[in-house]
Amino acid sequence: MTDFKTVVRTLADGGVEFIVVGGFAAVVHGSARVTFDVDVVYRRSTENIARLVLALTPYHPYLRGAPPGLPFRWDAATVQHGLNFTLKTDIGDIDLLGEITAGGAYENLLADSSVIHVYGVDCRCLDLETLISVKRATGRPKDLEAIAELEALLEEHRRLEGR
Amino acid sequence: MRRAPEPLEPDPVIEAYKRDVDRTLLRENLKRSVEERIEALVRALDMVQEFRRAGQRLRR
Repeated sequence: MTDFKTVVRTLADGGVEFIVVGGFAAVVHGSARVTFDVDVVYRRSTENIARLVLALTPYHPYLRGAPPGLPFRWDAATVQHGLNFTLKTDIGDIDLLGEITAGGAYENLLADSSVIHVYGVDCRCLDLETLISVKRATGRPKDLEAIAELEALLEEHRRLEGR
Repeated sequence: MRRAPEPLEPDPVIEAYKRDVDRTLLRENLKRSVEERIEALVRALDMVQEFRRAGQRLRR
């Protein structure tokens, strides 16, 4: 099972620039749905990729679902040559996304994210409105229930804020 | 700088799904801190795993 606390702290303590997106971001905003992994959009600068690789190396990242023995080298060159990685690690399943549909890359999402303080570290989380827009744009039928919940959540947030 | 969010146009399909959302769960979650929400997720996942193991034992 994914150790959410360790994943967040590992990335933040490693100085990795990332934004939490997906189901875990939904939980941060108050979703009652269960998610099994952590999805993050990471900045694709050379320096950040180096920090990302260094931070996760102790946890032996490997491509999730890939047959055992498939040659996979977790290093900066691999991340530079790829974009999105669905990884299995010793601290759980982590999806590293260089960009997302309808959201783009880290730099595009930065203005639509907020800093949250959790487990003693600061990290960025995609705002609820953008999370909804991105999920809507993805257009996957399996997301319909999740989007409905997120929109209800947004209404509840606004009700609490008196908007 | 944070952008002002663009208003979302209501989608009739999503509106239909929205009727089935249990808002009591959302309201309870909104009373919690972010860490408490994550801890609730971890507890739910523990339960899912326990049920999975029970299901596997049943099939053996």
